[in-house]
Amino acid sequence: MKIHKLRKIMVSILIFTLLSTVLAGCSKGNDSGASEKVLIIGYDQDAEIMDTIKTAWYSDALIYIHDRLITRDYEFGYKPGLAERWDISDDGLTWTFYLRKGVKFHDGKEFTAEDVKWTIDTIKDPDTGSPFRGDLEAIKEVKVVNKHTVEIVLNYPFPNLLYNLSSTASGIHPANAYEKYGDDYGKKIVIGTGPYKFEEWIPGDRTVLVKNEEYNWGPEWMSNRGPALIDKIVLKIIPDENSRMMELEVGGIHLLRNVPETYVEKLEKNPDITIYKNPATKLGYLAYATDKEPFNDVRVRRAINHALNRKEIIQFVLRGIGEVAYGYLPPALKDEYLEESKDLAYEYNPEKARQLLAEAGYPNGLELTLSADNSSKSSKLAEIIQNQLKEVGIETKIQLYDSAGYADMLKEGKQELFIREYSWSNADIIDWFLLSSRFPYPNHSRWVDEKTDELITYAARRPTWEERAEAYKEVQRYLIEQAVWAPIYIPMHMIAVRKEVKNFKYHPWMLQFNDGFDIEVKK
Amino acid sequence: MMLKYIIKRIVLMIPVIIIMTIFVFSIFYFAPGDPVSRIAGPNATPEVYESIKRKYGLDQPFIIQYLRFAKSVLGGDLGISILQDRPVIEMIKERLPVTLQIGFLGFLITFVIAVPAGVIAAVKKNTVADYLCMTGSLVGIAMPTFWLGMLLLYVFAYKLRWFPISGDGTIKQLILPGFAIGLTNAAITARMVRSSMLEVLKQDYVRTARSKGLSEKRVIFGHALKNALIPVITLMGLRLGWIIGGSVALEIIFSIPGIGRLMVDSILARDYPVVQGSMIVLTSSIILANILADILYTVVDPRIRYS
Repeated sequence: MKIHKLRKIMVSILIFTLLSTVLAGCSKGNDSGASEKVLIIGYDQDAEIMDTIKTAWYSDALIYIHDRLITRDYEFGYKPGLAERWDISDDGLTWTFYLRKGVKFHDGKEFTAEDVKWTIDTIKDPDTGSPFRGDLEAIKEVKVVNKHTVEIVLNYPFPNLLYNLSSTASGIHPANAYEKYGDDYGKKIVIGTGPYKFEEWIPGDRTVLVKNEEYNWGPEWMSNRGPALIDKIVLKIIPDENSRMMELEVGGIHLLRNVPETYVEKLEKNPDITIYKNPATKLGYLAYATDKEPFNDVRVRRAINHALNRKEIIQFVLRGIGEVAYGYLPPALKDEYLEESKDLAYEYNPEKARQLLAEAGYPNGLELTLSADNSSKSSKLAEIIQNQLKEVGIETKIQLYDSAGYADMLKEGKQELFIREYSWSNADIIDWFLLSSRFPYPNHSRWVDEKTDELITYAARRPTWEERAEAYKEVQRYLIEQAVWAPIYIPMHMIAVRKEVKNFKYHPWMLQFNDGFDIEVKK
Repeated sequence: MMLKYIIKRIVLMIPVIIIMTIFVFSIFYFAPGDPVSRIAGPNATPEVYESIKRKYGLDQPFIIQYLRFAKSVLGGDLGISILQDRPVIEMIKERLPVTLQIGFLGFLITFVIAVPAGVIAAVKKNTVADYLCMTGSLVGIAMPTFWLGMLLLYVFAYKLRWFPISGDGTIKQLILPGFAIGLTNAAITARMVRSSMLEVLKQDYVRTARSKGLSEKRVIFGHALKNALIPVITLMGLRLGWIIGGSVALEIIFSIPGIGRLMVDSILARDYPVVQGSMIVLTSSIILANILADILYTVVDPRIRYS
C-alpha cells in the first residue's frame, strides 16, 4: 500500500514540475510592452555598488544616470556639460563654472551649485573613503558663488581637472544624498540628472534603466539633446564568455563591448552582427623591477626592448587585431601622444639585443622569472615573450597569479619581468605608474628617478591644457630613452552590435545611447 | 528519543562550524591579496588605500579580526560585505533560493532516473537492459557536470532555442542546469541502486516473499526496493556538497545569480565576510541534509531507531 502512495506522490511531483515549466513558458513573452524599445547590453561582471563616489569599479549604468560638469565629444574634446561654460584665472588657480539652468534631478529637485559642492566635498572627505579622492587632491576648496555659479580653487595649477571632472567618477549627485536616502543610496536608490533613471538592480544579474522624459539638457555636440529614443536599457550580466557570444548571436543581447579577439572571426560571419573596431586607450607592456639587477642597467632594459618582435606577438595573442605600441601612451590620446615615438623606439633586433646584454656584462645570457595574471590572454603573452627572450639568451620561468594575488605580489616587490595592460584615457597614467611617490605601488616597475619626477610634476602643473600636453611629450621622450618599460601593443576596442540597433555612433570614451540611438522593436 | 537524537546532532554542528570558520578565515588571512585593491581601483594612492583598509578593520591582526567576526556571528549577524557595503545575510537571501531550486530539481531528476534504471539493471542482470543502463551510467560518471551543462546549453538553448541562454528569472532557466546536475548525479546513484538491489534480492526474506506466492512486482517494490534504498539515501545526503560544487560552474555557464557565483566572485575579490557567511550557510545545510537522511532511514526502514 505504502509503495503505491509513494509512487503517487512521485508522479504528482513530476506532473507538477512539468506543468509549472509549461506555464512559465507561456507567461513569458507577454510581459514586454508591445512598443517599448529595450536595449540589452551584455557584461561579464557586475559592479558592487552603484555609487560613483564609493568605488573604482563603476557600472556603466552610472554613465547614463549622472551628468558631469564637463563632457567629451566624439573627437574626445572637452565640451560643456552641466556647466554651460567655465573660466580659468590667468594663474590657473581659480576655475569658475557657470551652471546650466532648468536642470532637474530624478527626484524632482533642481540642480544648483550646492550639489556640485556637496559631490566634490564628499569625495574629498577622508571619512568617505572614496578611491577618487587622490584625483581631486589639487582642489583646495569649492565655493558656491550663487545658485548657478561655482568656483573651484586649486592648490596648484592643474589643467587635468578637465579630465577629472568629465570622468564617470565625478557624476553629480544631489546635495545631502547620503543623509536623505541613507543606506539605500547606491543600492536601491541612485539619483542623478542624466538621460536615464535608475529603475532596478539585481546584483549579479541585471540593472534596468528607464529614460528620463524630462531630459532636455544634453550637451551641444549631441544631435539629440532631448529625451533618449530608447525607452529602457538593460545591463545584463553573463559571466561566461561563450554564453555571452551565444546570446549575442540569438539576439538575447544587442550590444557587446570588449569583444575578445578570438571571437571576431566567427561573429563577423554573422550577417546580423557588425563589429566596430577602434584603437583602444589601452597599452599592453612588459615591465621589470628597475631597481633590481640586471634591470638597473639601461643596456639590459634596451636589450629586452630590442628582443621583442611585437608584430609576431600581436599576430599570436591578438590574432593580428591591434597595433604595435612604441611609446608610453595610446595614440588615441591625440593631444598628449608623442608622435615621434615610432622613430625613437627600439626596433626588433635580436642581434643588437645580444650585443647590449654582452656589453652589460651578461654575454652568457640571464635567468629570470616572468610573472603574469592567469587570464588566457596574459598566459599566451607570457609564452610568446618567453620564446622571444630565449632567442637573445634570456631564459625565463613563467609564474601566473590570480588578479588579487598578482596585485599583492607586485606590491611586495617580488617581481622581475612582468606583464601588464593598462586601460586609461589620460596622460596622468604615467604619474600613477612612474612617480617615485607612487613607489612601491602602483609604481610596480619600481622606477624611482628624480628627472622623471621633475618632468612629470612640471607637466602636470602647467597652467593650460596645451602646455601640459606639450610637457608630457617631453616625459615620454625621456621614458623611451630610459626604456623604463617595453611597450608591446595597443589593442582594438571592439564593439559588436546587432542589426536591431539603429544609428550606432562610436564614441571614443563611452557610447552615448541618448544621442539618437534607436532600436527596432521585435514584432 | 528521536527528537533527542536530532537535537544532539544539531548541537554537534556548532564545533564543526567553528572549525570551518577558523579554517576559512586563516586561508583568507594568509592568502595574498585583499578586497581593498578592488574598491580602491588600480590607481589609488597609498593614502587612499590605507584609509579604506582602516575603515574595514583590515589593518588589525588576525586574532582581533577573527574575534570581531565571531562576535557578530554569535549575535546572529553575518556581517557586512566589504565590497557591496550591505548585510551579508541579505545577499545570501537573494542568492540562495535559486541555487536550492536547481539543487532540488537536480535531486528530483536523479531520483526519477536512477531508481528505475538501477532496479531494471538489477532485476534484469546481465541482459541487454542491464548493459544499456550501466553503459549509460558510465558515460554519465565520466562526464563532468559543467561539460554536460555546456552541451545542454549549446543544443537546447543555442541551437534549438527551447530555453534561455542566460538566466531570465523564470522557471525555464532552471531546467537545463537541473538536468545537468540530475543526469550526472543519476549515473552514480543508479549504480548504487543496482548493487544495493542485487544484495537485497539475495536475502532470505526475499526468497520467503517469493515462496509465499507474491507477485514479482510486489517482491521487488514492496520488499526489496525499500531496503535497497537505505544506502542510496546516505549517498544522496553526502552528494549535497557535490551538487553545490557543481552548481558553481553551472551558475556561471547559465548566468544564474545563485550562491555559488556569489562565493566565487567574493573569493576572487577577497570579500571575506561574504565568503564566511555563505560557507556557514552551506556547511549548515550539508549537515542538516545528512541529519535529514538519517531521519529518512526510519521512514524507509521502521526497524531503525535512534537513541
